[in-house]
Amino acid sequence: MTRFVITLLVWTLISPGNGSWGGGTSWPTHTACRKEGLEVLYQSCDPLQDFGFSVDQCAKHLKPNLNIRVGIILREDIRELYLDIVLISKGASVFNYSYPICEVDLPKFSFCGRKKGEQLYYAGPMNNPGFEIYEGKYQVLLELYNEKRTTLACANATVICS
Amino acid sequence: MTPPWRLAGTLIPAMAFLACVRPEGWEPCVEVVPNITYECMERNLYKIPSSIPSSAKNLDLSFNPLMFLASHSFSRFPELQVLDLSRCEIQTIEDDAYWGLNYLSTLILTGNPIQNLAPGAFSELFRLQKLVAVEINLSSLEDFPIGHLRTLKELNVAHNFIHSFKLPEYFSNLTNLEYLDLSNNKIQNIHCDDLYVLHDKSNLSLDLSLNPIAFIQPGAFNKVKLGGLTLRSNFNSTHVMKQCIQGLAGLEVQQLVLGEFKNERCVEEFDKSALEGLCNLTIAEFRLAFLDDFPEDTNGFFKCLVNVSAVSLANLYLNSLEGLPRDIKWQSLKLVKSKVNQFPTLALPSLKRYIFTTNRGATSFAEFELKNLEFLDLSRNGMSFKSCCSQSVFGTTSLKYLDLSFNDVITMSVNFIGLELLEHLDFQHSTLKQASQFSAFLSLSKLLYLDMSYTHTQVAFHGIFSGLVSLQVLKMAGNSFKDNSLSAVFTDLTNLTFLDLSKCQLEHVSPGVFDTLLRLQFLNMSHNNFVLLDVLSFNPLQALQILDCSFNKIESSEGQELQYFPSHLTTLNLTQNPFDCSCKYQSFLQWIKDQRQLLVEAKQLECAMPPDMRGMLVLSFRNATCQINKIVIIVTVVSVLVVSVIAFLVYKFYFHLMLLAGCKKYGRGENTYDAFVIYSSQDEDWVRNELVKNLEEGVPPFRLCLHYRDFIPGVAIAANIIQEGFHKSRKVIVVVSRHFIQSRWCVFEYEIAQTWQFLSSHAGIIFIVLQKLEKSLLRQQVELYRLLSRNTYLEWEDNILGQHIFWRRLRKALMDGKPRSPEGTADAENNQQETTALT
Repeated sequence: MTRFVITLLVWTLISPGNGSWGGGTSWPTHTACRKEGLEVLYQSCDPLQDFGFSVDQCAKHLKPNLNIRVGIILREDIRELYLDIVLISKGASVFNYSYPICEVDLPKFSFCGRKKGEQLYYAGPMNNPGFEIYEGKYQVLLELYNEKRTTLACANATVICS
Repeated sequence: MTPPWRLAGTLIPAMAFLACVRPEGWEPCVEVVPNITYECMERNLYKIPSSIPSSAKNLDLSFNPLMFLASHSFSRFPELQVLDLSRCEIQTIEDDAYWGLNYLSTLILTGNPIQNLAPGAFSELFRLQKLVAVEINLSSLEDFPIGHLRTLKELNVAHNFIHSFKLPEYFSNLTNLEYLDLSNNKIQNIHCDDLYVLHDKSNLSLDLSLNPIAFIQPGAFNKVKLGGLTLRSNFNSTHVMKQCIQGLAGLEVQQLVLGEFKNERCVEEFDKSALEGLCNLTIAEFRLAFLDDFPEDTNGFFKCLVNVSAVSLANLYLNSLEGLPRDIKWQSLKLVKSKVNQFPTLALPSLKRYIFTTNRGATSFAEFELKNLEFLDLSRNGMSFKSCCSQSVFGTTSLKYLDLSFNDVITMSVNFIGLELLEHLDFQHSTLKQASQFSAFLSLSKLLYLDMSYTHTQVAFHGIFSGLVSLQVLKMAGNSFKDNSLSAVFTDLTNLTFLDLSKCQLEHVSPGVFDTLLRLQFLNMSHNNFVLLDVLSFNPLQALQILDCSFNKIESSEGQELQYFPSHLTTLNLTQNPFDCSCKYQSFLQWIKDQRQLLVEAKQLECAMPPDMRGMLVLSFRNATCQINKIVIIVTVVSVLVVSVIAFLVYKFYFHLMLLAGCKKYGRGENTYDAFVIYSSQDEDWVRNELVKNLEEGVPPFRLCLHYRDFIPGVAIAANIIQEGFHKSRKVIVVVSRHFIQSRWCVFEYEIAQTWQFLSSHAGIIFIVLQKLEKSLLRQQVELYRLLSRNTYLEWEDNILGQHIFWRRLRKALMDGKPRSPEGTADAENNQQETTALT
């Protein structure tokens, strides 16, 4: 009886509340594509939300202007939107790239200027060059942020090429 | 007494309840500005939290499942100005939901699936200026109960299901409306009476982008005045586009935006005839973006845009701008990301503003003549400039703004002749050649802004910035200076307020570099190689407010100089420096602690040296550790001093101590004298002035037996010698000199002394050699010669040190054999040994 009481007491004290900002929750790992020895997995690193992403073609020889699909609910206005890509191989950053997606003056995409709370679904080509993916395991960090430097989406992707 | 299990029984449910209550229950929101701004985004709230004070002005309740807004929902917050209800799953808004919000200026309802919107939902709201109703399932403007919001300036109903463009009657009430966003709706047709209510308005900007417009009835926009009209990605073919543009006839618009989005392209084979309808419009500014298949021949394309004052063309497949109509009146032209294959040499005398950026097709700049040009932006083209810069290059003398940043090589060959009106000059990230060979900016006395960051400039010439007397901002980041030393190049820049010298590999600052920069407010010296925070060099910068020295190799600063730091400083950045936290820099570390309110991220500053303190926070440095060391040093010094003083005193007062310690009861015993002095009368001067004075008046006082004083008159000399001299004296002092050997009495006395010593085994003989003796002379006294060569004798010297040692040895010799008590008698044998032991 005493042992049970102690166990229960300890449990009630240490068990965390299940609030939405309880912290420590990590989003599940999704598969963006898996085909012909190439596997792209990603996990949202934004504590606020998970998001959907997929690539249409999936090949070791990456074609230019890949078609991608992204779905997300915006947590901030996106008058301006930027994408940062960091490629990590064997623990070292190999490649850094920052790309302006939405600018104030004559924005490029139709979703530019969308509001906080609005849905964003993009299905279309990505402005990427074609290149060969060498065998190995790569980490890719992707981050979308707006003019206030607030993160809108963040993904931790793993590319496995075998 | 309650049994423990019963106590547990009551405690456990209570604890379990407390643990399960969500923390939001009592403090769900983030207080951004106390009593003013509260952020409660995504807190899983079902109702408005009660903890928010009624003084709140900005309230963000977005992403909470509020579901339902009852009347008077916000009456507790009469001060509210901004209310964000984005994606709160609100389906129903009742009458008077916002009752009491008399100061609300912004209401955001984005992303709520509203099904029931009561007619009085937006009642009150007398000061509402901005209503964002994006993606709220709105199907008609007619049913939207906003007709009474006379103060409304901005209405955003984008991303809804509105089919009809007919603006309801109530729009005539919205006299302050400036911006109406109807983009991403379902509007297909625009009819003549749709815009009837807008006929009196002139400043409304209308966004109709992403509506699938198929038909605009001619005359629909006739006599309508708009501030702006945006039609991007509206038409699914050139034909529809052409017809719809013709339907805009009669419109007077400040800014007309046409084109598509990169991801929403429908118009194929764009035809220049599509824009023919524009001839019937009055347009101040025309913008066109993202059109594929732009016609090869632009001749005639712009014929309806002759009277437009500003033209902006972005992301067009525009190969060249040849063949523009001659009577064109454009004052501003912006050409961005076009596919031009060479730099267009325009001939537009009216042009005042020309922006040609991010056009990768043009590789080299070609001179042009634009007489009235004031603003020229040629950045981000990767172009090379063979000769920069003078009036002849741009054909204007009115240029005030010139941006040549992010290009290829720019060769500085002319010093801006004819461009004296320039106020803004930007070269960043282009490669400047010959910039540091002559005073290139000498004539630019009106220049306010100069950016030369990352231009591969090596500053070697002192006059590089000569003539820039009005300059306020100078950016030199990412360049280098000769010998990595900042020299006096800023002499003329007396009006400078902003100076960026980051990433210049600088190692030190020459004296007097900043002496003339009395107005400088911001100085960036980060990412350099400074080892020392050179406070004295910053001393003349009395107006300095922000100083950035982060990412250097600064270990410390001269402690005594820190008082000269600019007194108006508000921010100092010293992050990412390897501070040395040794005690020798204690005053600098203390200064850092004192100035912590100035310092950026003061709490994160870390020590890098000494090794045992690596990683320690600078603010946790304690002076006490250094004080302990100081105390140790002080104690050591003091004790060494004390020991040496004692040693000195002991040495100095050795004989006093001897008296005090052991010879208190000292007496001469049966002897009247301590010593009988045998000397030649020729040496009497020495005996009286030196020997008597030193021994009888010194410490301890010795009593000497001297013939001129102590021999009893009337008694034979020999008897006196024996009676007074030898009998009553403990010792015999023999003063040996030339005169001594020559004097017969002295020899006699000496021989008696020897005999006496032999007979009584009593007295010790102390020899004092007054002068150096010749050997031949000494040999006359064989016995004396033998003794002197065998025994230690005292030798009188002329120097003070020698005399000092002489007296100490003599005193010591005389002290020997002094009886310590009246009973004690000296052992003659011992005496003899000790006398000889002086060696």
